[in-house]
Amino acid sequence: MSTAIDIRQIVKTFGHVTALDGLDLTVQTGQVHGFLGPNGAGKSTTIRILLGLLRADSGTARLLGRDPWADAVALHRRLAYVPGDVELWPNLTGGEAIDLFSRLRGGVAPARRDELCERFDLDPSKKGRTYSKGNRQKVALIAALASDVELLVLDEPTAGLDPLMEAVFQDCIREVKTAGRTVLLSSHILAQVEALADQISIIRQGRIVETGSLAQLRHLTRTSVEVMTDRSTTVLADLPGVHNLRSTNGYTQFEVDGEHLATVVRRLGELGVHGLTAHPPTLEQLLLRHYGDQLGHDDAKAVTR
Amino acid sequence: MSTTLERPPSRAGTESATLAGTGTLVRFMLRRDRIRFPAWAVGLPLLMAYFAVALESLAGTPEDLQGLTSFTSSPAGALFGGPGFGFDQLTLERFLVGQYGLYILVGAGLMGLLTVVRHTRAEEHTGRAELVRANVVGRHAQLTAALVLTTLMAVLATVLIALVMTSRGYDAGGSLLFGASAGAVVVAFGAIGAVTAQLSEYPRAAAGFAGALLGTAFVLRGLGDMAAVQGSGPSWLSWLSPIGWSQQTAPYTHDDWWPLALCLVFSAAVTAAGYALSARRDFGAGLIPPRPGSPRAAAWLSGPLALSFRLQRAGLIGWSLALLVGGVAYGSFTQPLLEGFQDAPEDLLAVMGGSENMLAGYLGLMGFFMALVVTIFVILAVHGLRGEETEGRAEPVLATAVGRSAWIGSYLLVSAIGAPWLLLVAGLGMGLGAAVSTGDSGLVADLVAGHLAHTPAVWLVLAIAALLYAAVPRALPAAWAVLGYGLIAGMFAPMLNLPDEVIRISPFGHIGDYPRDDISITAVLILTLLAAAGAAAAIARFRRRDLVTTA
Ligand SMILES: Nc1ncnc2c1ncn2[C@@H]1O[C@H](COP(=O)(O)OP(=O)(O)OP(=O)(O)O)[C@@H](O)[C@H]1O
Ligand SMILES: [Mg+2]
Repeated sequence: MSTAIDIRQIVKTFGHVTALDGLDLTVQTGQVHGFLGPNGAGKSTTIRILLGLLRADSGTARLLGRDPWADAVALHRRLAYVPGDVELWPNLTGGEAIDLFSRLRGGVAPARRDELCERFDLDPSKKGRTYSKGNRQKVALIAALASDVELLVLDEPTAGLDPLMEAVFQDCIREVKTAGRTVLLSSHILAQVEALADQISIIRQGRIVETGSLAQLRHLTRTSVEVMTDRSTTVLADLPGVHNLRSTNGYTQFEVDGEHLATVVRRLGELGVHGLTAHPPTLEQLLLRHYGDQLGHDDAKAVTR
Repeated sequence: MSTTLERPPSRAGTESATLAGTGTLVRFMLRRDRIRFPAWAVGLPLLMAYFAVALESLAGTPEDLQGLTSFTSSPAGALFGGPGFGFDQLTLERFLVGQYGLYILVGAGLMGLLTVVRHTRAEEHTGRAELVRANVVGRHAQLTAALVLTTLMAVLATVLIALVMTSRGYDAGGSLLFGASAGAVVVAFGAIGAVTAQLSEYPRAAAGFAGALLGTAFVLRGLGDMAAVQGSGPSWLSWLSPIGWSQQTAPYTHDDWWPLALCLVFSAAVTAAGYALSARRDFGAGLIPPRPGSPRAAAWLSGPLALSFRLQRAGLIGWSLALLVGGVAYGSFTQPLLEGFQDAPEDLLAVMGGSENMLAGYLGLMGFFMALVVTIFVILAVHGLRGEETEGRAEPVLATAVGRSAWIGSYLLVSAIGAPWLLLVAGLGMGLGAAVSTGDSGLVADLVAGHLAHTPAVWLVLAIAALLYAAVPRALPAAWAVLGYGLIAGMFAPMLNLPDEVIRISPFGHIGDYPRDDISITAVLILTLLAAAGAAAAIARFRRRDLVTTA
């Protein structure tokens, strides 16, 4: 399998702010890659480096096998970009903006454009300044989805869309995936990433802290378990990987690290289990662990300084 | 609970409610403008002080002074100076306020309108005002606070100008009157800004419209003053202009305060109109409702050059119309001007170089003046280019197959073609006006040539602005200094006999003001080459820098 995006040890600073601090990111061709991280983590900065809008201080980036800064124009013919905050020209209509973007990119597919306008319920005859935030977003999305490109770079593309439009968006991305195209999807909408992404990378403070498929990431985190037992469960508390054990009247709740799950289940068998539920971690828990760590991390740094 | 329900809010209560939070907003604006506020309010008095010192050192003796009046008492001098009160018994201070005062007044007008638009429409447009309005802030608080801020600037400028002038030993009463005249223009154009800010959703359109009215005020009083100096023609035109009122106070000569009362009444009425319009519109909206447009792009709208043209098209149309009208207005004054010479005593005419030369001087000066006006267009165009980047519209375009050079290059190219086009329109307008009024159709060609000849100088300023933008985007406003220098060097240096080198630093000091001077082909070529080199450097620099993005 070839790689569409390959970033190694990218560093980017803005004055005193280090936005990216040795970032590595690999996206396989034909996959939807979810790009998650707290506000200010560096998602948009990474994307802008991939688009050749910003220049990295150090490190290497390859996009579709080429250098995003030096070969920007040639690469841009092969990709489409939707920014997080779509700004349109106040006196151009949405339809004019869509056509303009498609033409500037090189390829035009009028039929597909009209179909998308319909699906996203966009009136293309309104002037740019009269669109709501969600409708501005739709203009950029339609311009990107109507084009026949290998790679879609989407930075929080549905931040302003209503749930109905969100569903349309997800359908469109599945079609893109079926067609074998690659998508880099930065998002804060976890359900969207959970539904669409083959691979996920989590960025924090300018570094990738976790990357893999959702199943792989789940394995790294804790499963919550609730059991009803005849015998006391206090023995479990001493097992490695068990956390937050609370027990009342034969009802016990605890969390267990993925790698120790097997041992714990074996011990449970000896305790006379007559009821058991286990939840894999949700993406939200997975993320909160990382997002939450950030605070702890910062505190620790502040203390040691 | 019940007591508040029983008593409907009194009228006074609702009024103060719409103004709630004004004080806080004023403090907030003062903090936001902590550099801008003194820059304007101290800058104008300092400019006046500079004029005073420069003039004192140049024209130390009464004879020197008398030598200056040959230009200033001419109609062209009146057009670019004022009615020249008391010039028959000239003193330094009379000359200062009579000839340079006009530019202080224009600066004061700009300060007023820009300040009000900045704190009303521009705030609303960015959406910051929405956050503010959601707090305990009344509907009229933002506008009121902006007007209070503008008035504070006006008062400070008044006091400082008066102090500066008094400190040079000029009469204190006249000094205060001149300061107040400048302050009155600040207030009048602040009020005009309060109206134009209601009309369009765009801060630039609001400022542009108010600026056009400032230009109109300048032209009206220019025509009126010219008529007054000649003693024939519609001198009442000066009385239609807020700048005219401030000039009619004649500081150090008649010391009339009453024209300022006219200005205050005008400002109050216009401000009231601003409040009334503001109450009739929705937040964030303009009074001119949006219309739907074409759902598809025209076939020609397909590349960076077409996009650049589309973005500058509306501006070009507006400027073309304004320059055409302005040109015709100034041009049609040629005949009254010539008649004025016929009435003048023989020996005076001889001193001025004969009526032939006076005409050529007037027409040449007009070409130079229009070149400065078109320079405003090109600098504003580069500001527009910067807006494309900072407001986030460049990012999606540069993420398509449009390269950096094509993006900036095509925008600059449209502006660069716009410059000779606008000069042509202005020259044609003046030529037609002059030809119709004098019956001499040869003037059309002279004026068109004289205007077009300035193109390379305008290009050079465009290139300087582009280079500033490409290298240090935030430093772009420094390009206005080039224009300001061109104005001072071109308008005042000849009459002050400033050394040649001083004039020659200005891009406008080389080509020559045809038909008064010959056109220097060498200068045309060199300035064109310099401009091309500057533009190339700007493009090269822009290719290498990070795009300015919002985090
Ligand atoms: N142009 C800039 N100038 C200065 N600092 C910047 C700039 N752009 C980004 N930053 C800083 O770099 C860091 C990363 O910003 P970035 O926009 O990439 O975050 P993000 O992950 O996209 O956040 P969000 O989820 O809020 O969109 C932040 O600390 C931000 O303040
Ligand atoms: Mg972002």
